[in-house]
Amino acid sequence: MNDKRSRLVSLRNPWFTTSVGATLALFLFSAFVGFIWLPSAQDDALFKGLLNAICGAAGIPRTWLSETNPPVAPKVPLSTVILTPEMLSGPGMRESVGRGATLALRCTMCHGARGVSAANTPNLAGQYSPSIYKELRDFQTGARTSAIMAPMVVGLSDQDLRDLSIYYASLPREPSPGADDASPALGIVATGSPMRNIAPCGSCHGSLANKLGAPWLSPQPRAYLKSQLEAFANGTRHNDVSGQMRNVARHMTQDEINASVDYYAEKR
Amino acid sequence: MISNKRLVLAHFWLAFAIFGLAVLLGEWQMFIRSPLHGWIHNPDLYYRSVTAHGTVMGYVFPTLIAMGFGYAIAELSLNQPLIGRRWAWAGYALIIVGSISAVIPVAMGLDSVLYTFYPPMIGNAFYYIGVVLVVVGSWIWVALMGINLHAWKRAHPGAPVPLAMFANVAGAYLWGWTAIGAALELLFQILPVALGLSHTINAGLSRVLFSWTLHAIVYFWLMPAYIAFYTIVPRAIGGRLYSDTMARISFVLFLVFAMPIGIHHLFADPQIGSGFKFVHSVFTAMVSVPTLLTVFTICASVEIAARLRGGKGAFGWLKALPWDNPQMLALTFSFVMLGFGGAGGLINMSYQLDSTIHNTQWVTGHFHLIFGGAIVIMYFAIAYDLWPHLTGRAMQDLRLIRTQLWLWFIGMIVTTFPWHYVGILGMPRRMAYYDYTAPGMSAEGVAVVMSAVGGALLVLSALLFLTILYRNHSANRVEPAPFTFSQAIHEPTSLPLALNGLGLWVGLMIALTITNYGYPILQLIGLHDADVPAVYSGGQQ
Amino acid sequence: MVQASPADPHDSAALTARIEKRWALMVVSIVALLVAMVIFTGLHWAMMPPSRVETADPTTLHVSGEFVESNLGSSVEADGSVTVRMIGQQYSFTPQCIVVPAQTPITFRATSADVVHGMLITGTNINSMIEPGYISTFKTEFDKPGNHLMPCHEFCGVGHEAMWANVKVVDKGTFSKMAADTRRLTCDL
Repeated sequence: MNDKRSRLVSLRNPWFTTSVGATLALFLFSAFVGFIWLPSAQDDALFKGLLNAICGAAGIPRTWLSETNPPVAPKVPLSTVILTPEMLSGPGMRESVGRGATLALRCTMCHGARGVSAANTPNLAGQYSPSIYKELRDFQTGARTSAIMAPMVVGLSDQDLRDLSIYYASLPREPSPGADDASPALGIVATGSPMRNIAPCGSCHGSLANKLGAPWLSPQPRAYLKSQLEAFANGTRHNDVSGQMRNVARHMTQDEINASVDYYAEKR
Repeated sequence: MISNKRLVLAHFWLAFAIFGLAVLLGEWQMFIRSPLHGWIHNPDLYYRSVTAHGTVMGYVFPTLIAMGFGYAIAELSLNQPLIGRRWAWAGYALIIVGSISAVIPVAMGLDSVLYTFYPPMIGNAFYYIGVVLVVVGSWIWVALMGINLHAWKRAHPGAPVPLAMFANVAGAYLWGWTAIGAALELLFQILPVALGLSHTINAGLSRVLFSWTLHAIVYFWLMPAYIAFYTIVPRAIGGRLYSDTMARISFVLFLVFAMPIGIHHLFADPQIGSGFKFVHSVFTAMVSVPTLLTVFTICASVEIAARLRGGKGAFGWLKALPWDNPQMLALTFSFVMLGFGGAGGLINMSYQLDSTIHNTQWVTGHFHLIFGGAIVIMYFAIAYDLWPHLTGRAMQDLRLIRTQLWLWFIGMIVTTFPWHYVGILGMPRRMAYYDYTAPGMSAEGVAVVMSAVGGALLVLSALLFLTILYRNHSANRVEPAPFTFSQAIHEPTSLPLALNGLGLWVGLMIALTITNYGYPILQLIGLHDADVPAVYSGGQQ
Repeated sequence: MVQASPADPHDSAALTARIEKRWALMVVSIVALLVAMVIFTGLHWAMMPPSRVETADPTTLHVSGEFVESNLGSSVEADGSVTVRMIGQQYSFTPQCIVVPAQTPITFRATSADVVHGMLITGTNINSMIEPGYISTFKTEFDKPGNHLMPCHEFCGVGHEAMWANVKVVDKGTFSKMAADTRRLTCDL
């Protein structure tokens, strides 16, 4: 067996020399063309010089155009919250709930004693914690404007906002009358309108999928949902990250806004 | 003689049963997204179906065929009982367990990530674990094929390895090596995130690792079909194999070139430098060489059959061919589809032309034509040829078989040609519905309806196929003549070492993987700037 | 033509080998021609796939750097070319409507804020993946004014089917009038 193997891998074996030689030649040829010849023919400052050509073609990371033209700064404050899946998990959740419960005393006037609102303010009980946290931060930075909420969050630390979010997320969510179970979504809610870039509501807000930072919507007060959707549509609310909600809302007709608000609103 | 008939039948039946179900899913997908159906109110059902269809058709079905056929070849060509029979059953069991583990979360909507995984989207861990189990089950087969060949060679020193087994083991080694890319992606990138041990993933690296598997898997699917071209069809139509040596060269070229070319799937990706894209483009061009060699050798073998049957003239011999023989029919259809599919493939492989059709319906059309068409029709042919030897009963439904093959051929053409067309128009793949009323989309609507009609023909053909196989189990008992593979005009009496074993070619395959994939993978592993948060599918984490 | 039943097996073996070699040579020539075509178009039409590897943190795109919302859209560079910056996210591109001048060199810079997306512009050969963590850069030029669709072509979640944007190509004069008022142009409503 051994001497057979040595006969296979041997310079005297034409099969070995031809196959290895041809493969090597093919690789060297394609490497020469791909790493040196083609990049050198590109009209691009980055590719000038042999080393640059090779490094660029090999895919060594480098910044390129970003610094030539300084970015245009936003005219109004935009959301600066960084959303990651594990942002509000980890040890100390129980302590957070306790501290959050104390802090939440100031919220009960509008959002109810247990996070279920009697007024036209959003229900918070059982809402996803990253969604609550994001809005609280945006009220603080002014990315989301509200004459009522702005003074409420002044002076709260980042940890306070986290505690509040975790506390409200821990409360039992009010049973939903529609969206997530029985009544099937129809029309704009179910299918959106692809050519107008309106995705089904449920592809971010539950029932189909949950997008990090997007809240569930059912049940929420009708007036609240309507005012917010309209504010996204006309751009007065602009704290959605990179316009993801404005992109949807601005193409919706008034009838579609009403229909989707009806679908998600409380139906008691 | 096959002593492990139950083992082979178990593989084939499971393969064809799930194939039948996946065909139904495929047709349902085409129907609901066509203008024949309104917009589906739960688009996730569509994506679940795509995930299931792709997982079954891409991973489970062809793997089971290659395994079942491989076990049969090992016994039939080597004339020795299969070594490792219990292990073979263990591999089969792993595939069943893996498939069940994968399909349940998909059906529940926890894993609408498609069979291509697409991190940073992350679904339920059981889906990925299931896919890993399927791959591990198939690796048992890879090992058994190597072991059986090795034992035979020890017992027959210096004798030429039968062509069928040589090709079978080449396919096994190709799969063993190429599955490693996706396995690395699943084990080291996706599963840690799906199990909650980590929250970030380098999506660019995942795509590179997946491409390691994604292209060569096609050649693994194709191996049984090519084995049938070379070792079954010439015998079945009464001809001789034109050249045994050329056949071996074709198979070893697949082994060498199928693997280090996967980055041609990533021409439009930002994480790979253009140099490696070009290198992969050149090697992709090379992988057409074994196919072109095969086309020549098989056409010559078919011509021999015609002349042995009294065919005359430059083209007149075509008339002398046994056109009522299912193997002849399957081969012809397969070559026609391979021709069209291959021409399309040349466009995909070219660096520049690819940008017009990358990720459009064109690509769906391309791989359905090649895999669903040229390859699967040969899976049918293999089953038809092998079945009497497995059941000991006569294959009586010759007319039904011909109808089934015709239906599959026409159905596949009607399905995939419109897909190519709408792809050129810019229709993206894998959308649950389209607005055919939009300006510029109505032309797509007509074509999409056509392909849904083609899909209906495919469903009909698949049902017919299953019926034919099923009916055979209660047909008349016969004692089939001993199974033989094709004889070459010049049967080899001795072979150069390089063509009687796969060592040299496996070595080249690994070497080319290192040169063509080594640097991009290592660089991306170190590129922690590109680790991005996972996006959990099917519910908030 | 093939001799099916040769008189002398050695002659026939040599004959088959000779025919095979000729065919093999032809196959290699076909492959060489294909590769030569790829090289030629690469050299003379300067058609190259996106080639520079550049990273970007998808979680902070909206906070700082060139992909903040106010910096997205088309901007006129000092050399007269136009740079289009955009992001893909579940389930829209921002900007949703891209406006560019015809017959002007355009550089696209795009990245993703969440999962893998892709984009193509119908009726053109513009086609790129958009991946989180990486910036895709590619150059192009539009021949004439017109409207194009720009779908996302990679599965990005259950809302994927709705991820369509628009590209509006206007003539140079119209574009420079539009660009007079603002540093970043889009045709979003």
